Amino acid sequence: MASKTAAAKDIITLHGSAAIVSEFFCYAANSILYNRAVYPEESFAKVKKYGLPMLLTQDESVKSFLSNLACQISEWLEAGKLQRVVLVIMSKATGEVLERWNFRIETDAEVVEKGVSREKSDKEIMREIQAIMRQVASSITYLPCLDEPCVFDVLAYTDTDVAVPFTWVESDPKLIANPQMVKLHAFDTKIHKVDTLVSYKNDEWDEEE
Amino acid sequence: MILRTPPPKKARSEAGGSSTPTGDQLVIYEDSPLPAPLQTASHDHSDQHLCTYQCRQMVKSDVLDALSKAEKQAQGYQTMLQILNQNFTQADEERKQFRDKFLYSEQELAAAKGREKVLQEQLLMEMNNSQERYTKALQSCHDLEVKLQSEMNLRTKAESSVATAEEKAKLLEEKLSQLSGSVERERNRLNNDIAHLGKEAKLSVSRIGADLERMQCRAQSAETESDLLRSQLEDLKHKFDECLHEKTEVYKKLSSFTSEAASPSDNNVLFKTLLEELKRCEAEVREARKLKSQQLDAELLKVKLLEEKSLRERAESELSKLPELQISFDKLENELCSWKSLLNNIPGVSCPDDAVMKFSALQKEVLDSTMKIGEASTRFNQLEAALDATQLGKQNAETEAALAKEKFEALKSDVKRIEAMLALVTEEKEQLKAVVSERRKSNSDGPVSATTDGTLAESFESSLAKKENYLKELEKELSQLKDVNSRQRDEIEHLNDKLVSEARRMKSLERDSDRLRSEISLLESKLGHGDFSAANTRVLRMVNTLGVENEAKQTIEALQAELQKTKERLQAVEELKSQSGDAGKLVDSHITGKIAQLKEQIATLEKREERYKTVFADRISVFRRACCELFGYKIVMDEHQRPNGIPVTRFTLQSIYAQSDGEKLEFDYESGNTSILDNQYTSQGEIAKQIEIFIRKFNSIPAFTANLTMESFNRRTLY
Repeated sequence: MASKTAAAKDIITLHGSAAIVSEFFCYAANSILYNRAVYPEESFAKVKKYGLPMLLTQDESVKSFLSNLACQISEWLEAGKLQRVVLVIMSKATGEVLERWNFRIETDAEVVEKGVSREKSDKEIMREIQAIMRQVASSITYLPCLDEPCVFDVLAYTDTDVAVPFTWVESDPKLIANPQMVKLHAFDTKIHKVDTLVSYKNDEWDEEE
Repeated sequence: MILRTPPPKKARSEAGGSSTPTGDQLVIYEDSPLPAPLQTASHDHSDQHLCTYQCRQMVKSDVLDALSKAEKQAQGYQTMLQILNQNFTQADEERKQFRDKFLYSEQELAAAKGREKVLQEQLLMEMNNSQERYTKALQSCHDLEVKLQSEMNLRTKAESSVATAEEKAKLLEEKLSQLSGSVERERNRLNNDIAHLGKEAKLSVSRIGADLERMQCRAQSAETESDLLRSQLEDLKHKFDECLHEKTEVYKKLSSFTSEAASPSDNNVLFKTLLEELKRCEAEVREARKLKSQQLDAELLKVKLLEEKSLRERAESELSKLPELQISFDKLENELCSWKSLLNNIPGVSCPDDAVMKFSALQKEVLDSTMKIGEASTRFNQLEAALDATQLGKQNAETEAALAKEKFEALKSDVKRIEAMLALVTEEKEQLKAVVSERRKSNSDGPVSATTDGTLAESFESSLAKKENYLKELEKELSQLKDVNSRQRDEIEHLNDKLVSEARRMKSLERDSDRLRSEISLLESKLGHGDFSAANTRVLRMVNTLGVENEAKQTIEALQAELQKTKERLQAVEELKSQSGDAGKLVDSHITGKIAQLKEQIATLEKREERYKTVFADRISVFRRACCELFGYKIVMDEHQRPNGIPVTRFTLQSIYAQSDGEKLEFDYESGNTSILDNQYTSQGEIAKQIEIFIRKFNSIPAFTANLTMESFNRRTLY
């Protein structure tokens, strides 16, 4: 994809970094959907990725949705137009936003403009992603339980000069009022830096306390 | 006190050669005329002493006693001399010791002096370094102060700009509220217009439906006619065939007749009959052709009917979509109006192009402000780093000041110690001086060793004088050092004061940095919350979501089915056209001609309608004016709806003799019944009485109005 082994560090290009980030998002979305029980457990299959057993959905509609999403995200990342990707979990009955998984992206403008490459070890990047995946899996210990059926949606924060594809429309940011926020680890490919943060609606029990 | 130096010797007397001891002196003169008295005092010295034998014995005993005494004295003097010698040796030893001590003290002094010099040099270097650091710290503090002031100015500017922006936002909000009110009014008006248009559309739809039904009836009748004509055609065909057959027979007969040479008159009759039959057959053929063409027309009408039906369905579907379109139209209009009003409200903008330029300029300003914010944040970081550095410098300066203080105190203690030593040395010097002087006194009559002791003492004194001079120089240096130390103390105190003030400034800077950190954390929390700047960022979501995908598939399938149906219809129409051949071209031209005719009819009908409306409006205005002048009331007719939904016609009457605009009568007319409504005018005492009498009692509104007209006329003319 992007790496050529050279001494201790690997060379990473813009295309390769975009592929790494979009693939990360795909796996992270699957992990979140599994851990937050948005879809039933039996609809997920186990695969090995980032040195961890990851769960991928087998629902064709969700698969196609995420694959189309990953393609578009990769395109925007290569153009340097993507600022944030947000996975929103909402109540199916009321449409109320319960959780926001915020992936903030910082792009090295020099790489986008001049097409230069950077050097970083693939192992280091995988280790950083692994840490984030572990944190996503352990987030069930502090996130409130989702007792009602939920649906998910994905928002993309882009630059205003981006040409909107016909399968995308403008949307409201689907914010949560007075959320609790937990900042997770970040990973950096030297071209794209991805910060992860989860904000969730205050649980009623916590508010009473 | 022990006399170290023996008393000086007395001069010898001239009378005798022997030295006689002093004190109890006995002068013995041999054969001298006069013997000297034995225990006479020394003042009984006389040159002439005579003694007898007894006196001689006495004198001898006395001399012996004196000798023994003298011997004793001599022994005593010897012991004293020994003691003095011992004392001298002791004193010499002590002198040597003191000399050693003095040399040692000199060495110590020299070492102390050297150490002091080194310490002074170190102090000076440290002072210079601390001064340099202090000047650097002062410069950095000054720079930081300047930066802080500039940052504060920027902050005040930003706050003022925020305040002005808030004021502008408030003004804009007020304008928005006003605009929303006007928009709502316009919306209501547009809704009324839309309702009116809807009614008209419904009317047109009903009209079209009626036309369609008419066309259907016509088509049905045309079908029946075509069936009849078809049957007639078949009959005529049959007849035509018979006629042809007869014609052939007739021709055969004619040919046979010509060969048989029949009579001309009969032939003429036959010929005429045959001609008439031919003409009849031709007429029948023409009629059959006409029927055939009519049949074709009927079929075309059927096709047209189908097309009209499809058009009707499309019109109905479009009518069903009409409210949605109207809603979207409303929204677009509202947006347009709002944008236009916004454009009008934006200063410096007269057209949408200017708005684009203005927005681009505003975006640039926002970008610049974000860049400035970024720069301010970088400056803030730099300030933080400088703060940390100054704090470190301050700590270092404090430690150095503490070290300098400690060194100063150590130096002070050294100086004190040296002063004490000097005092001791001076005391010892004085003691030595006194000893030397005593020694000199005791050794003035003594043996030759006293001279050496004197030279030693002189050398000692000279060295002492030198040392005294040296000590004076040291004292001078000490005083100078004291002055220097006092100055350094003052400088240190001054530095301490400055350090305290710097510490206060540091605390205030720390408070500002804490506040800025809290603001940064707030902004970061906002970023994490999901807030964004609409000028730089757009939020998008996929339309092809999982819930919509299935619906999209279904709509796609439905659209594909409709497409196939329309394709099949098109094929059927094309087949019909191909079957009709030339007639199809005629049909097309016929249809287009009919459509043009219908359009012309519609245009004329619309013109007629408008003309009728204008005429009606003129006539009705004339009628109203005539009624007003004849009966004395201005009548206004309105349509109202009761809460239960029943429409009611309301008539508002105002007398031409009314003295105010509030003098109005209101009547409701519903299905032939007229009732008066209560209002402020009718609730007045006199009017209410009249209503009670004329309307309630006598059930006569004209009498009431006539009475009211008379009263108002009288009021106007007579009063």
